[in-house]
Amino acid sequence: MKQYFQLQFKILNRKITDFGFPLLLGYILILLVFILLSKYLFKNTEFAIYAYGLIALSFVSKLNEPKRNDFLKSVFKKNTYKKLRLIENFIYCLPFTIFLLYEKQFMFSIILNLFAIIFTLFNFSTNVNATIPTPFSKKPFEFTIGFRRTFYIFPIAYFLTYISVTVENFNLGVFSILLIGITCFSYYSKIENEYFVWNYNLSSKEFLIEKTKTCLIYFSLSCLPIIITLAVYFLNEIDILILFFLVCCTYLTTIIFAKYSSFPNEMNMSHVILITTSFLFPPILLIFIPLFYSQSIKKLNIVLND
Amino acid sequence: MIKIKKLSKFYGKKQVLNSINLEFKKGKIYGIVGENGAGKTTLFRCISGLENYKGHISSDYTKLKDHLGLLLTEPFFFSKITGKEYIRLLTNARQTEVINIEDKNIFDLPLNQYASTYSTGMKKKLALTAILLQENNVFILDEPFNGVDIQSNLIITEIIERFKKLEKTVIISSHIFSTLANTCDEIYLMKNGEIIKKVEQEGFNNLEKEMKEFIVGNRIDKLELK
Repeated sequence: MKQYFQLQFKILNRKITDFGFPLLLGYILILLVFILLSKYLFKNTEFAIYAYGLIALSFVSKLNEPKRNDFLKSVFKKNTYKKLRLIENFIYCLPFTIFLLYEKQFMFSIILNLFAIIFTLFNFSTNVNATIPTPFSKKPFEFTIGFRRTFYIFPIAYFLTYISVTVENFNLGVFSILLIGITCFSYYSKIENEYFVWNYNLSSKEFLIEKTKTCLIYFSLSCLPIIITLAVYFLNEIDILILFFLVCCTYLTTIIFAKYSSFPNEMNMSHVILITTSFLFPPILLIFIPLFYSQSIKKLNIVLND
Repeated sequence: MIKIKKLSKFYGKKQVLNSINLEFKKGKIYGIVGENGAGKTTLFRCISGLENYKGHISSDYTKLKDHLGLLLTEPFFFSKITGKEYIRLLTNARQTEVINIEDKNIFDLPLNQYASTYSTGMKKKLALTAILLQENNVFILDEPFNGVDIQSNLIITEIIERFKKLEKTVIISSHIFSTLANTCDEIYLMKNGEIIKKVEQEGFNNLEKEMKEFIVGNRIDKLELK
C-alpha cells in the first residue's frame, strides 16, 4: 500500500513538472490557487458551502471510476483495497476539510468526510453499459459525453430554480444557471485526439465558430427552463439574469478558445492561471479571448492544413 | 492522383522516412507492407497532413485531407459515445448528411451501445463504416483486417473492389499478405523508412516468397527449438 501511495505521489510530481513548473513552485501555486478560490467562493457566494461540498465530492467521485477500481481490486486484497480507497478519499477531502474548519463549518466538514466514507463503502462500479439517453446526440461530442457524465446536475439545477421561486430567492435561481454554466465549462477542459479535429473540412476560423455555436446553443437550451421561470417570477431582475447568462456564454467561449490554444496538447499551466485570474477580474477576458483565439487559429491551422 | 516527392521525416535526430517517392493514381489499389516500425503509419500520417515533413506531397485536390478517409491502426474512441454518435461526429465533420445510419450499418454493429465497449474488431468496423459514409475519394486504411472476423474480412475486400470500380484511390497496409495480393494493383515494400521494392500483380507470388526469406531468414534457427 505504501508503494501505491509513493507511486501516486510520483505521478502527481510528474504532472506538475509536465506543466513546466519546478516542483516546489508547483505545490506553492496549487496551494495558493486553492486558498484564493476558496476564499473568493466563500466571500462572494451565498451558497458557497453547498458549491464547495459539490466540488469536493466531484473530486472524490473521480476516484470511483469503475475501471480504476476494478484494477485496484485485482491488485490488492479486499481489506487493503478498502483501506486504500478510504485513505485516498480522505486525502482528496483533506484540503476542503481544513478550509471548512477554518471557516468554522464543523458540521459540513464532518458531512463531507462521511460522504467520503460512503463513497468507499458502496461500490458504484457497475458493468452495466446501459446507454444514457441525451438530448445532445445530434452534434457529438462534448455535450453528448458531458451530459452522460453529469446528467444528475441538470435536475438538481432545475430543482434549485423551483426552490428559488417558492422561497422567492432570485440569487438561488441565478446560482442554478451558474451551476449549469460550470458543468458545461467542464465539458471543454479535456483535449480530444487530433484525429477528430483533422476530420473537419472547415477552416480554423470556421471550426472554432462551429464549436462555439454548438456549445452556446446547447447551453442556452439547457438553461432555457431556468431563464423562462426566473424571467416570469422575477421580471424586475431580468437585466441581472441576462447579465449572468451572458457571463456564462463568455466563459464558455473562453474555455473553447483556451482549449485549442495549446492543441494538440492539453492546456498548459499559464492558460489555467490566466483563466483563474479572469474569475477574480472578469473584464480581463476582453484581452484573453482575442489572445486565446489567435493562438487557437495558429494551432488549428497545422491540423486542419489551413 | 497523389504525388510524393523526396518525402523525409525526422523525430528528433531519428529519421523515420527517407526520401520517399511514390505516385498513387485514381482507380488503383496500393498495398504497403513492411515490418513493425518500417514507417508505414508515419507515411500515412504525412500524407494525411497529421505530421510535418520534408519534401512534397501534392494531389488533384486543394486540400487532400478533406477528401481523405483515414482508418487508423487503433482508432480512438471517447468513453461515453455510442456507435451511432461516433459515425455522426465523423460525418458531421465533413458536412455529409446521413439520413438513416441504421440502414448503412453493414457490419451489424450495436450502434446504440457505447463504442468504447466494442471489441477490437468491432471498433475497427465502426471506424471503417464512419469513413465510408464520409463519401471520400481517397482512402488510407492502416491494417483494416486486424482483429476483424472472416465475414467482415470478405465485406472489406469487396468494398475495396468496389472502390476500384468507382475510380477511388485506396492505400492499404496489412500484415496479411494474401488479402493484399487479392486486392492490390501494386505493392510497395518498406524497410527502415525507405521503399525498397515495388511489385506489380504478376510479381505478387514471388514477393511473398522473397519477403519470407527476407524477413524470416534464419532468425528462428537462433531459438534452437526442440
